[in-house]
Amino acid sequence: MPNASVQLLQGTLDLIVLQALSTMGPLHSYALAARLEQVAGEPFPLNQGTLYPALVRLEQRGHIKGTWRKTDNGRDAKFYAVTRSGRRALQGETVRWRHLAGFIDKLFVRSSS
Amino acid sequence: MIAALRRFARRLINAVRPSAREADLERELLSHVAIAEDEHRLLGRSPDEARLAARRVVGSIAYAKDLHRDARSFVWVDDVRRDLRGAVRNFARMPGFSMVAVLTMALGIGANTAIFSIVNGLLLRPLPVERPDRLVLLLSNPSVNPSSPWSNPVWEQIRDHHADLFDSAFAFSRRMTRFNLAPGGQTDAVDGVYVSGRYFEGLGVRPVLGRPLLVSDDRRGGGQDGPVAVISYALWQRRFGGSADVVGKTQLIDRVPFVIVGVMPSDFFGTDVGSRSDVLLPIATEPLIRGRDSTLDRVTASTLLVMARLKDGQTVASAEQAFRAAQPDIRQATMPSTARAEVRARYLATPFGLQPIAGGPSAMRGRYRQPILIIMAIAALVLLIACANVANLYLARGAARRHEFSVYLALGASRWQLARQQLIESMLLAAIGSAAGVAMARWASDLLVHQVSTQAATVFLDTRLDWRVLAFTTVVAIAVALLFGVAPALRAARTPPIEVVRTHGGTGVEHGLGLGGALVAGQIASSLVLIVAAGLFIRTFVNLATLSLGFDRDAVLLVRLEVPPTTAASRRVALYEQLAATVRAARDVSHAAISEITPVSGMITDVYVEADNGPALAPPQNVAYKNVITPDWFATYGTRLESGRDFDERDERPVPPVAIVNETFVRRFLPGGSPLGRRIRNPSPVQGEQAPWMEVVGVVADATYLSLRDAVPPTMYVPLAQQDVTGSFSFVTLSVRAANGRPLSLVRAVSEAVTRIGSDIAITFVPLGQQVDDALVQERLIATLSGSFGVLALLLSAVGLYGLTAYTVNRQRTELGIRMAIGATGARVIGIVLARIMLLFGIGVVIGAAASIWVSKFVASLVYGVQLRDPVTLIGAAVTLAIVCGLAGWSPAWRASRLDPAEVLRES
Repeated sequence: MPNASVQLLQGTLDLIVLQALSTMGPLHSYALAARLEQVAGEPFPLNQGTLYPALVRLEQRGHIKGTWRKTDNGRDAKFYAVTRSGRRALQGETVRWRHLAGFIDKLFVRSSS
Repeated sequence: MIAALRRFARRLINAVRPSAREADLERELLSHVAIAEDEHRLLGRSPDEARLAARRVVGSIAYAKDLHRDARSFVWVDDVRRDLRGAVRNFARMPGFSMVAVLTMALGIGANTAIFSIVNGLLLRPLPVERPDRLVLLLSNPSVNPSSPWSNPVWEQIRDHHADLFDSAFAFSRRMTRFNLAPGGQTDAVDGVYVSGRYFEGLGVRPVLGRPLLVSDDRRGGGQDGPVAVISYALWQRRFGGSADVVGKTQLIDRVPFVIVGVMPSDFFGTDVGSRSDVLLPIATEPLIRGRDSTLDRVTASTLLVMARLKDGQTVASAEQAFRAAQPDIRQATMPSTARAEVRARYLATPFGLQPIAGGPSAMRGRYRQPILIIMAIAALVLLIACANVANLYLARGAARRHEFSVYLALGASRWQLARQQLIESMLLAAIGSAAGVAMARWASDLLVHQVSTQAATVFLDTRLDWRVLAFTTVVAIAVALLFGVAPALRAARTPPIEVVRTHGGTGVEHGLGLGGALVAGQIASSLVLIVAAGLFIRTFVNLATLSLGFDRDAVLLVRLEVPPTTAASRRVALYEQLAATVRAARDVSHAAISEITPVSGMITDVYVEADNGPALAPPQNVAYKNVITPDWFATYGTRLESGRDFDERDERPVPPVAIVNETFVRRFLPGGSPLGRRIRNPSPVQGEQAPWMEVVGVVADATYLSLRDAVPPTMYVPLAQQDVTGSFSFVTLSVRAANGRPLSLVRAVSEAVTRIGSDIAITFVPLGQQVDDALVQERLIATLSGSFGVLALLLSAVGLYGLTAYTVNRQRTELGIRMAIGATGARVIGIVLARIMLLFGIGVVIGAAASIWVSKFVASLVYGVQLRDPVTLIGAAVTLAIVCGLAGWSPAWRASRLDPAEVLRES
């Protein structure tokens, strides 16, 4: 059963992953999850199970590309990097997200005042 | 947009070929676990603890895989694949059940596909020519005659002076002509057609070898290459072995040498669906073959059909208007000058018409349209009955698997998943059944078409499996799968939870009729309708086949003779009389005579009649049929002479002209007093001419002339010796009566006699019995098919009823056992079971009877000699059904009465 406490929209998760990979450079999925937890400052309410579908979707759309490389420790891992079309999509998504966030903000301001 | 498409494509690929991606995921997950482990080791945990922690971090690998799979491919495709595997496993587990189900489906779907192929070939498929939707048929007289043929002079007028009306116009003979390819003796007959110069151009077909006929070939006496012909692919293969040097070869056609200039493609058969033209000759060469009998210049001989191809962008309406505008010119230019005033007026007034005809003007289509559609409905009904059986089979099996289903539910399957599995299984069954059915269908439809061919007309129909037939089969398969799959699927979805199933021992007590009962009642109703239909058709056929014909059909051999048209007219009569006399003298021959027309041959001569001092009659009352005969004809056929005399030597001389008439003729034209000695004549259509009076010298009993269904028409007979044979009678039939009652035994003797007199006389032998049978080929076909389907429906319903009763009795074992334990006798138990059967039967019969009455109006035109709402047929069908149902239900009822109550109670 999916974790009832986190029902992030699919699109939001895709945006998060794209942004993270864009700013932090190519990462493998474990590192990505770890970094997301760091930034959030608390246990990120996603397990790897829900991260994978987002990676698959983005890869199928051509927004990220995965390549097998060796980590510093010599392990094989699949590193995901943002592509050019991914960067374009990220720009568009960011604009939309800003609009949406601003709109929701205004609603809260309204209702609280 | 592009990204979404990319995703769709990737998902599709992964749905179809999951393995590569799956392996990649496996590798990634393992790497993930390894890295996590490393991390935890670095944090100082022991190897075991590290591994455990890593695992926990990654979460359930199986779950991750699931989510990954859901994202990377189409979930439902994977589910369907799994269900398919399960379905195949189920089939293998119960081979008997599966075989029965598949076979039932194959037969049902196969029969329907076979009949639809025929419907497709006859009614739906357009001609295999270029852009058949642009073809139209020109009609000379649409309000009176739907096929509206034209005479050659009028056609030539249209062709020469109004070519600009359409893109191209072309003509062809309306009836298939039998051409003889043999130089003499026994005929080697093929079907052929006369065509105009632009026929091939107008249709847009090109030959595979040589060239088509051209406008330059359509000239009297032949074009610059002389008389030329085009042959069919089949004839090329059959007679010339498919060799390339056939172009340029000379072929005798009705003893006239023609040069073959082209071979048509294998799918070309002409324009008449249901037949195939093996030779195509230019219209203008007809006089070469028919000599003085040629109708080429006769305005009143309507022998041609005319079609045209519309110009690009021209609509049917505008073309018709333009055509009608040209009508006055055409009519005026071809007015028969000798016609009487009222004939002229009628000729000028009848409006032309235009009709789109992508399928070609087909004689067979008109004749067989209704019968084949009825047979299709019958086959569809039988398929429904078969589906009900399979549905019941599945329901019974589903009930047995309730325990299994409830376990699945408990394990977490959704009800939709259960239902879906059942549906997939049904679809698989339907798919296999229809594949098998389609394989059978081609063979079955060819067999059916073959049944319809007669001696006179070989039927040729393209029953190829084209896209229409395959689409039909697909739709039918899906419909069938839904029909018998939905009920079990719903049942499966409604499986009660496991606790319920456990306490009730996997049985649900069914009260009332239930779904199974409803299905069987439906089967009984459908069977009743089919049996009633079969009864009507079979009785029709029997009535027609045993009709009193007015002559003896089984002792007579018909010998069609064709003398070369070059034989002088004056010689012909003497020749025929000589032939008749020689054959009469042969062994085993009791009588022989010559006539122009033979009974039920499809040929008629109808004439206007005027009787001296007879009642004044208007058309069509003043029309009679006529036959030209020689002496001894009535004796040959066994037609009784009622009064007066037969023709004899006295009538060799042209005067006085005499005639013999039949009883119906007397009633119509010569009522009151003795008809002998009275005078009749056939009024001449020619202005100012008077036909001679004929004296009636004999009256014969009524005998069938053309149609078995219609009442015998008024018929007059005239002697051959008194006819003007100039330009006539190159085709006659010698009828020979066998003294030993076996007409075929005379073939050799007659053949020798004829060839001795004239070696270039063409001979075709047909026993009279066969000619009459050929007239009933349509009725025989429907009777056979509806009877077979009726029996099949009966069997299927019996099986269905037996199955349901056995199943219900099994379910109710406990209840019946208790009843017997507290005193019910075996007879009482049988009564209980039979009561239920009777209830189903009663409901089915009531619905079926109502349906039969409603349906009977569709077959009204096909039946003969039976009342449509005839209660006898209905009661007979109901009784038959009752007997069959009783038999079907008897065995389970009997077994129920033999139940040992103690044993039953011990089981539960």
